[in-house]
Amino acid sequence: MSDDLQKTIFAIIAKEANIDESRVTLDSTLKDLEIASLDAIQIIFEIEDHFKIQMPDRDPNFDTESVRGLVDTVQKLLADKAAHPPAPPAAGSTPPSAPPPAAA
Amino acid sequence: MQQRRVVITGVGAICALGHDARTTWAAMREGRGGIGPLVGFEDQAMRAKIAAQVHDYDPNQYFDAKKLPLYDRVSQFALIAAREAVAQSGLDFHDAETGARAACIVGTGVGGEVAHDDAAKRLYADGNPRLHPLTVVRIMPSASTSHVSIEFGITGPTFGVTSACATSNHAFAQALALIRAGMADTALAGGAEACISLGCVRAWEAMRILADDTCRPFCKQRRGLVLGEGAGMVVLEELEHARARGANILAELAGAGMSADAGDIVMPSERGAACAIAAAMADAGLNPEDVDYINAHGTGTPANDPTETRAIHEALGARARHVPVSSTKSLHGHPLGAAGAIELVAAIGALREGVIPPTANFIDPDPACDLDYVPNAPREVPVRTVLSNAFAFGGLNAVVALKRAP
Repeated sequence: MSDDLQKTIFAIIAKEANIDESRVTLDSTLKDLEIASLDAIQIIFEIEDHFKIQMPDRDPNFDTESVRGLVDTVQKLLADKAAHPPAPPAAGSTPPSAPPPAAA
Repeated sequence: MQQRRVVITGVGAICALGHDARTTWAAMREGRGGIGPLVGFEDQAMRAKIAAQVHDYDPNQYFDAKKLPLYDRVSQFALIAAREAVAQSGLDFHDAETGARAACIVGTGVGGEVAHDDAAKRLYADGNPRLHPLTVVRIMPSASTSHVSIEFGITGPTFGVTSACATSNHAFAQALALIRAGMADTALAGGAEACISLGCVRAWEAMRILADDTCRPFCKQRRGLVLGEGAGMVVLEELEHARARGANILAELAGAGMSADAGDIVMPSERGAACAIAAAMADAGLNPEDVDYINAHGTGTPANDPTETRAIHEALGARARHVPVSSTKSLHGHPLGAAGAIELVAAIGALREGVIPPTANFIDPDPACDLDYVPNAPREVPVRTVLSNAFAFGGLNAVVALKRAP
């Protein structure tokens, strides 16, 4: 599970930042990977969308925190979600989810 | 030939601080803020918890039922601010000659977002393919401009400008240029924004730059910007035109400076900002030692505030440390395209009353922001000249310079 999760996150980072996946390690920071803030928020967006989670606004810290921090945060959020599954939405209150935006 | 000078003979505003310029200025000079819990999205789980919204607002008090369906909220704000500015100026643009020699430059950053949202909800969420027949005229970004020109009978050069958060200052710069060039004698110019729609707030949430506590520009604990809304409008007039009719002159729009970073779509550049500040000073004939107050762009984001600080250092040199710099966005939030116009109320007020509105919510200084930010308390000091900064996403910069009424 953890390996899969890590692999998925590495893949998202590599794709969004347009870098080779082999460059991404647990210890690399977004700064090491020369990922600008706009790419960073897109990475977070893709991770949230993929795992159906919501990351806190300032975690991870884009400049200093490592990919490990990102993986840990996602792992924790997924564990929380498994422990406390969200209540099913009331009928009719949620519109069908929109299709994912086309790649820019 | 000597350059035509341009003065301000009317000002109007509506924002979280009040429904007119007088109330807005009164709140600014007392440092009384308009940021509060985000209202109107109670059925949604919002990440954005706070905003600077226009409250206690009933459009029926301002518009008759027959006309109201024509106006998106953004056009309503533009008209309300324009009415106040025009009434104060005493000009009658319906006089054919006056109207023909007047320009109308009204900008917006995002346009008719409330109508846009309503249409999208109907179409995609409700599955209803029939949109309201006035959808197009509500949404078009130039709608506010047209409605202002129609209501007041302005028949000279009339168009919208757009440059995200610098929109209003670009509108002032454009109107200034038209009057100086002799293409108009007067202008109604400003900006309006009604960006607190679900779609727009969601888009800002996704950028992860909204503060969750309040707006604290330039201080160490700042956590981002707070969305605002509203409009600001001024009547600009060629100096001799204003004198000839005995108009009450509020201030002189002495110059404008514009630049583009040509860099990043979101990260600001100190070079671009400094160029615009320097250009505004040069255009107004100001030396650094002449500048008495800077109304900062001061969004409260991690990136803007230190960059703007460095830009002020670069443009003003040794004088930078001695000039009071405040961000009234700490009070009225960030109304995007209307920001510069609402901030002009602060600039005019400071010139006329010798009071600098504070940067509210300031806790501890940030070493990267080392200017005099007038933290938390207004300051009484003579103000002869003001620079008002606006630096937009996408690196579009516009700074205006004001002087006391000649």
